[in-house]
Amino acid sequence: MPDILSRHRPLALLAGLILIQVLLLAFQIKREHDVRLVRYWAVQLLTPGERAGTWSFSKVSGIWSSYVGLRDTRSENQRLKTEVEQLRMRNHELESRAAEGQRLAVLMNFRETHPEAPMMAAQVIGASADPTSHILFINRGERDRIRRNLAVITPDGVVGKIVEVFPSSAQVLLINDKESGVGALFAGTRTHGVVKGSSDSNPHMEYVQNDEKVQPGQAILTSGEDRIFPKDLSIGTVESAAAGNTFQVIRVQPAARLDRLEEVLVLMSQQELAPKKTEEASSALSSPQNRQMGASQSALPSAAAQKTANRKPAATVDASKAKPAASAAGTPQTAPPDNPPATVPNPSAPQR
Amino acid sequence: MLSTGAHSDSNIEVHRYYSGAVLIVAFLSLVLQAFLHKYGRWAELLDLPLLVTIYFGVSRRNPVTGMFLGAAIGLLQDAVGHAYPIGMYGIAKTSVGYVASSFGARIDTEHPVSRFGLVFLLFHFHQVLLAITQRVLLNHPAPFFTLQLLLDSLVSAALAVILFALLDRLRRSS
Repeated sequence: MPDILSRHRPLALLAGLILIQVLLLAFQIKREHDVRLVRYWAVQLLTPGERAGTWSFSKVSGIWSSYVGLRDTRSENQRLKTEVEQLRMRNHELESRAAEGQRLAVLMNFRETHPEAPMMAAQVIGASADPTSHILFINRGERDRIRRNLAVITPDGVVGKIVEVFPSSAQVLLINDKESGVGALFAGTRTHGVVKGSSDSNPHMEYVQNDEKVQPGQAILTSGEDRIFPKDLSIGTVESAAAGNTFQVIRVQPAARLDRLEEVLVLMSQQELAPKKTEEASSALSSPQNRQMGASQSALPSAAAQKTANRKPAATVDASKAKPAASAAGTPQTAPPDNPPATVPNPSAPQR
Repeated sequence: MLSTGAHSDSNIEVHRYYSGAVLIVAFLSLVLQAFLHKYGRWAELLDLPLLVTIYFGVSRRNPVTGMFLGAAIGLLQDAVGHAYPIGMYGIAKTSVGYVASSFGARIDTEHPVSRFGLVFLLFHFHQVLLAITQRVLLNHPAPFFTLQLLLDSLVSAALAVILFALLDRLRRSS
């Protein structure tokens, strides 16, 4: 027997090893797997390795995912930047359209509340190349029955008048141009004068005597004497007033925002605008949506409120005649006999 | 002890490994096997301790060391697992270690194709031993052969060709 074992030593060892393990199995089966100590030591032996493996794996995967994430972040950042640029452009475009829509809504409201006065909406398409002149081009011309000396307004107030007409466009002389003049009166005192353009950006009201009491903020309306602008349209407010040689130097803040006009209305006749309608229009314009269109649009209701409902049209003065007309309210004429005419165009300026 | 090779009686070369390489590789195979199980069931396709047992068995070509290495690896695998009582994998891997060493002493196992075939056969031999042990000792109806086992054996054999080539680098040049 020992000879056989020594001759087949590996096989005997194998049988012995297997037998030991079978006995171990049998022992466990009998004791319901109760070899906790063996398992405990085995786990204690392998757990550090597993922990190290897990730690290494998490580090490597963390570095890898960070790298991949970083690469993705860069491309995503690039994509988002492009998207932001596109959205910014789109937003700008939409804001522009919304603003245009609001402006057009204001014009439409104004137009609808004055059905008695034919008017035509026009878009400002250009301006004068000469920095010293205040001229605009609108997209309405002869084809739209536009003619010279038609009044151009916005719901805020007077803008200017048509001075040249072309087939599909027309030239508008703004009220702050040096060659412009508008028959005007103070809303409160009904004192007449002429609003003329000046060397600075704002027009001046001229031919108001020094003894006339003028306060900043006082509303100035059209007098209608120039036969171009209907009566009682808002021109603006007194910005400052100072005594001059004979007449006061009154700086006027135009009611219309002459430096940022985009849409205007051309009055096709000198039909006076009904005050009640004007008031309604002003209410419409004063809505929250339209309020942002211009700070000075409230000049219209105030002007309308001061107007009597059945006032007769004021007498107009011929351009060649020199004296400003007396106000409808009976305010004493303040201009001296040698006053220049309160008419448009300004006779002292060269004709366009 | 296990890292030093023993000369067999045949003319086939017996490979020696750097000191501690066998123990470290065996230990790592167990750690990796347990570790990979955390990351999905695909790891069940592999039996790294079995591959290591086969590799060192056929390389060392000594049935005694092969069976002891298989027994150690198998018992540790049993101990860290909880599915079976300790000894299930021990018996199977002891036998595999012995058979692999015996094969290694008789045939050339350096060629990838022979390695693939050997691992494929020993995988199923290992599975048959497990099934027998479970059936006889635990009264569990374990299958001898399934398609899943066939797939596992093919995957293991393919992986073994790569793994054995890597482990060949641990050999000491004679």
